[in-house]
Amino acid sequence: MSARVVFCGVGALGSTAAVLCRNLPAELALVDFDRVESKNLLAQSFVKQSVGKNKAEALKLQLFNFWGIKADAFGVRLTEANVGTLLAGASLVVDCFDNLASRVVLSTHARAHALPLLHGALSGDGTFGLVRWDERFTPDAEDAPGQATCEGGEHLPLIGVLGATLARAIQDFLRTGDKHDAMVTLHGVVAT
Amino acid sequence: MTILNITYNGLSADYPMDTMAPLSDADVRRIAVEVVRSGGLRGLVIANLADGAFDNYVVDRFDGPAGERGARIYLRPKVPFGAATCA
Repeated sequence: MSARVVFCGVGALGSTAAVLCRNLPAELALVDFDRVESKNLLAQSFVKQSVGKNKAEALKLQLFNFWGIKADAFGVRLTEANVGTLLAGASLVVDCFDNLASRVVLSTHARAHALPLLHGALSGDGTFGLVRWDERFTPDAEDAPGQATCEGGEHLPLIGVLGATLARAIQDFLRTGDKHDAMVTLHGVVAT
Repeated sequence: MTILNITYNGLSADYPMDTMAPLSDADVRRIAVEVVRSGGLRGLVIANLADGAFDNYVVDRFDGPAGERGARIYLRPKVPFGAATCA
């Protein structure tokens, strides 16, 4: 097992995709500074026992306790100062962040170091999502700071499909090196 | 031939366009409004779509499979999120 996949942001999309990558012949690493709140249980892949824990640490525990999968967890905010340390040794970086600034830090570092970077991104109204490799990705800003993406798990089905599409793109890349983009609507997945 | 893909309200559809002149983002948004209003897209017909329905949307441009410049245009909602906390 030589590949190392680093998930940056393990909220709704990142946690869903990471769980669906538990079968990969790769080390998994999880980066997220946030904590699990009870309201997250409706749309994120956390269980009740994880409430109060750091999201990266909680997902690491769940992966081990449920499936015996070992992962590394970094419960910190990714910044220009620590991005090199957090991504050291990565074969692939998966961006599931929720803000423009963090996505830019990732893209800048990945491009400077020729590091494969795959983005997963979701619209604010939960009707649309993108899986796109960094070569063809321009991050979008929020319409308003702190804009929420979902209410009470309403968008969980689309998040599930988007997470699965992201996991499949990761799997394809690790197996063949192919970089597949896709967009996800309420009616299905379209390769782009 | 340019393919304009429009995503709106969770639906997505392709609209083939014979256009010689390069289209600005404003052109793409204006065309999309007219196409959706007029029923030019199967499954995506909104007769009373507002003039500014796509003002906040993103225009992505990609080359075609044979390298044709700008042969695919995607008009889509912004996607700023991935790990956001649900309110």
